[in-house]
Amino acid sequence: MSQETVTEIFSHELPATQWDPKKKAIEEAKIQVAMIGFCGCWGCHLSFLDMDENILGLLEKVTITRSSFTDLKRIPHHCTIGFIEGGIANDENIEVLEHYRENCDILISVGACAVWGGTPAMRNVVPLEECLREAYVDSVTAVSGAKKTIPYHEDIPKITNKVLPCHEVVKMDYFIPGCPPDGQAIYKVLDDLVNGREVDLPTEMNRYD
Amino acid sequence: MSRKLIIDPVSKIEGHGKVVVMMDDNNQVTDAKLHVVEFRGFEKFIQGHPYWEAPMLLQRICGICFVSHHLCGAKALDDMVGVGYSTGTPMLPTPEKVRRLAHYAQQLQSHVTAYFYCIVPDMLFGMDAAPQQRNVVGLVEADPELVKRVVALRKWGQEGIKSVLGKRMHGINSIPGGVNQNLSQEARDRLVNGEDGLISLDQVIDYAQDGLKVFKDFHDKNRAEVDAFAEVPALNMCLVDEKGNVDYYHGKMRIIDKDKNIIEELDYHDYLDYFSEATEEWSYMKFPFLKAHGREAGSVRVGPLARVNVTKSYDDSCPLAKAALEEFHDYTKGKANDMTLHTNWARAIEILHSAEQMKVLLNDPDLQKEDLILTPVDNAWTGEGVGVVEAPRGTLLHHYRANKEGNITFANLVVATTQNNTVMNRTVRSVADSYLGGKEQAEITEGLMNAIEVGIRAYDPCLSCATHAMGQMPLVVKVLGADGKMIDEKYRCAS
Amino acid sequence: MTVKITIDGQEVNARAGDNIVDVAAQNGVYIPTLCYTRGKPCLGTCRTCSVKVNGSVMAACTIPVREGMEIDVNGDEITDMRKALVELLFAEGNHNCPSCEKSGRCELQATGYEVKMMVSRFPYRFTPHPVDHASRSIWLERDRCIFCQRCVDFVRDKETNQKIFSINGRGTYARIEIDVELANKMPADQVREAAELCPVGCIIDKTQGYDVPIGKRKFEVKSIRERALGGGHR
Repeated sequence: MSQETVTEIFSHELPATQWDPKKKAIEEAKIQVAMIGFCGCWGCHLSFLDMDENILGLLEKVTITRSSFTDLKRIPHHCTIGFIEGGIANDENIEVLEHYRENCDILISVGACAVWGGTPAMRNVVPLEECLREAYVDSVTAVSGAKKTIPYHEDIPKITNKVLPCHEVVKMDYFIPGCPPDGQAIYKVLDDLVNGREVDLPTEMNRYD
Repeated sequence: MSRKLIIDPVSKIEGHGKVVVMMDDNNQVTDAKLHVVEFRGFEKFIQGHPYWEAPMLLQRICGICFVSHHLCGAKALDDMVGVGYSTGTPMLPTPEKVRRLAHYAQQLQSHVTAYFYCIVPDMLFGMDAAPQQRNVVGLVEADPELVKRVVALRKWGQEGIKSVLGKRMHGINSIPGGVNQNLSQEARDRLVNGEDGLISLDQVIDYAQDGLKVFKDFHDKNRAEVDAFAEVPALNMCLVDEKGNVDYYHGKMRIIDKDKNIIEELDYHDYLDYFSEATEEWSYMKFPFLKAHGREAGSVRVGPLARVNVTKSYDDSCPLAKAALEEFHDYTKGKANDMTLHTNWARAIEILHSAEQMKVLLNDPDLQKEDLILTPVDNAWTGEGVGVVEAPRGTLLHHYRANKEGNITFANLVVATTQNNTVMNRTVRSVADSYLGGKEQAEITEGLMNAIEVGIRAYDPCLSCATHAMGQMPLVVKVLGADGKMIDEKYRCAS
Repeated sequence: MTVKITIDGQEVNARAGDNIVDVAAQNGVYIPTLCYTRGKPCLGTCRTCSVKVNGSVMAACTIPVREGMEIDVNGDEITDMRKALVELLFAEGNHNCPSCEKSGRCELQATGYEVKMMVSRFPYRFTPHPVDHASRSIWLERDRCIFCQRCVDFVRDKETNQKIFSINGRGTYARIEIDVELANKMPADQVREAAELCPVGCIIDKTQGYDVPIGKRKFEVKSIRERALGGGHR
């Protein structure tokens, strides 16, 4: 199969069922929030759900556009808030984070990984070559006799040498530390933003672990 | 002209994945793959750290099944310090039950989250509904009462975890040989009576049946499509107790075939004799299989569908779940069920099973007893441990070695989503063939592509878990800082 | 002898010779410290207690009060300076609070909360620091050392009064060292005291780990500020 005859088509560009215009109008009148998880564990997204019943009140004022909770694969239009989980660990993360920066007024680093790299950044002190050897060459479950394969393909991104905090790639506006931050801490920050108050995370809600 | 259809990213799942479907000039699917596009790397960087940090560090692999990782690590450390199952030492009743309580609470909240927030919207609105609607926001709009119940149930599960781990997520309870606290009487009463913003245990049992109702209703209306959707063959594996019933915390690894014949059964400490993991260039996720059966025939399915296939029954103390399981077993007349979307049925049964198992434990006075730790005798140190539990997504394994000074020298993890890699790829191919095969480009819609994602979501894959292993060699990637200055230039390592 | 000084514009009486940290605490004003611990000689290594004395920045634990001193503790500029000092420590070491055994009992972490640190303004360095785990009961996790020197000065061999910990090298090459032979002679309670004395999770007692549940840990029960202001043992 020769490369030049292949057409790439993304699912989100295909014809889709139209959204009920009334519902569309209601949702689009709300504050638009886009969310994404980079190199993390999804825990901060789940901590977002940990705001419990407050989420119902919040969803009256905000709507979620692109997110791993929705099927919107790209930010559909300019958003007010970008909720960012995870550190930056590959070239695709960099592109997408830059896309969020261009399309969101406010970006929040949520959780230890976004704030400083977090647990995945522990690999920053280990040379990559040793890591590769461990995972694919010296793996105890490697298929004996088989050729050692290291994943490398046009359809998977290239990994950065170090896991970077988001703010070392683009400007981030707010930070919520914690692994993960408590759901109520996330709620406090979002509620401040939604109601136009100055963001203030009280000392007793700030935690790094 | 051949086409490359791409879903990027796969959404309503945990972690980062991408699907690529190749179609030829005759509109036939020539290839369909789930590419796992992230990489983190725990097995190497844990080395050199003190062994007791492993259950705290490695639970950071996953934000939804952290209790499973925490317990898997703890079981491996029990072995290592000389009071684990590998040494033939039974765990003290209180710590074992405290660990189980946390594990069932996690299974409840994890399944509830995956099922209602990621899977139900596709069922309720249809796979080809407007993409803006197929999500939790759409669900709140369509059925706010259901969402309120889901929120309350999830909250109760999370508070169950917090009552012993100290935090809803990434808390700490298990330490080598036991736990650092029991379930206090106040915490127990709060969970049972539903005080202080919680629903009561009776309400939990009631709400925990919502998932089954939603599935049954959906199944009744769409039986033919649901049953025919990606019926893919695979062996089924889970941990079982002596009776052959699933045990989410401890047991033997049992693997059955389509006729439910036991084809392998092993003490998980011997897993290296049974399993290999293949690697492909196109994914960071490995492909485990049973060595004796070869890569194609020896790939196993794990998780809810595998567990309800393997388990003979449930304990009589869980009557509602037991009845639901019998109905499930009757549907395929004693054969293993290979219907991908029935995984959601199995998941709904397990929501109820977790709730009923918690009910049993919350009424057990052992949870308030004070005998929390088994202290190893001198020279009991073995320096090696393997832990296996049934995480919400399936069989999870941690294996560590440490030297005399307490320094981790080796770690290997085989996670549930990785076990499911082959069967998930079979599902992707099956859905691509039946939904896209033979169609002109003009006929292919976003909704048809979403069918592939519906197949993937049934596994509730946790690609964060699956990419704990170190992977890709770097190429030259320049990282420019917020101020436009280059902060890191990446280079390709010599191999 | 009593002297009159002002702290943030408030006139207070103090005993001449007491250091500024103690005097401020007696008057309800918290000054964070990481190397200084009440009742022990001042080390002056961490500078986290920096305040302005008559307009000059000084480490409060090193300065005895004198008649007429004007001390600025909570002015915007000096408050931000102290915060920056804490942020530097977080950027320099590898402080993975999520998995650290000292979490909840760590003075650096607790101080981070008090100075309202959300993120370090300095680039995180991720320098590898080899651990030293050769001693029987002490694990030395160099990733977390902040060079306060508490262990160097205050933990000594019971018999000979020799130092057990020392700092080797200078600047970026400085690292904390442990005399394994002497460390192996330390009785269990001395090991525990050393681990407790370490303001971070650098000196870890191998026989104990994560034994206090989250929510019941030292600074969760009573914050570092309350402990500093409450007097007695911190």
